[in-house]
Amino acid sequence: MTDLVIFAVLFATYIVLRDSTFGGPSGKDLFDMSIPLAETCILLVSSFTCAIAMLFIHQKQKKSATLWFIATILLGMAFLTLEIIEFAEFTAMGAGPSRSAFLSAFFTLVGTHGTHIFVGLLWMVVALFRIWRRPLSSHSISRIFRMALFWHFLDFVWIFIFTVVYGMGNLL
Amino acid sequence: MFQNKITIRIVGFVASLLLTFAAYFVIISPEFLNIQNKTAVYYIITLAIIQSIVQLLCFIDIWGEKGPPWNLGVFVSTISIILIIIIFSIWIMNHLNYNMMP
Repeated sequence: MTDLVIFAVLFATYIVLRDSTFGGPSGKDLFDMSIPLAETCILLVSSFTCAIAMLFIHQKQKKSATLWFIATILLGMAFLTLEIIEFAEFTAMGAGPSRSAFLSAFFTLVGTHGTHIFVGLLWMVVALFRIWRRPLSSHSISRIFRMALFWHFLDFVWIFIFTVVYGMGNLL
Repeated sequence: MFQNKITIRIVGFVASLLLTFAAYFVIISPEFLNIQNKTAVYYIITLAIIQSIVQLLCFIDIWGEKGPPWNLGVFVSTISIILIIIIFSIWIMNHLNYNMMP
């Protein structure tokens, strides 16, 4: 929940600095909606696979749960790859984080989300080892549950990034 | 119970996908719906809020776990802190611009 507060602060910063482009490219010039749409769909599917995996964990079916978690990890990696491609494109166009206040806020907000995704992936790999090495006691189920919760909240935050950053960037 | 929960997840997933595509559609062609860009922003924000509620209910399953009663309190206070930060930053900064005008 405290992470949500960090994102709230970054969102507020972004919204305030949205128009401070300092003569550089604005959101309208930069954002191509197809990449964010693909990223949104990937995250949604990964959230879904994670939820299904969690249900199998509650059923104590290690094998199915592992398969669904591996699917989630692959989707998370696909998401990160797309985001890195997008960032590289922007930077190559001369729209790196040092170009304007708007771009600094953009890279900080979206980059923080990307870092969280990366941490979530690491956490998931660790959880997978734990699923295989230890018996599924109620204690370890609760740990895995927290990992899944973290992942769902990242998807939750992304909906608002999609709407506020990309949606409003294209419309206003 | 297990079947039930899987159905809930699938419903939530399909609903979220539909809401995402609806938002995408509004973003790329507001002319088609015959609305101003400014109105379109309210549309997509509404869609995002609906989608976040769908996800809270279907994926995060806030009613599913029987936790201590203060869980809900934590949730509500986080949401209020977030709203306070976002709404009041926008409010203050906009008025700051206005007040600083020569």
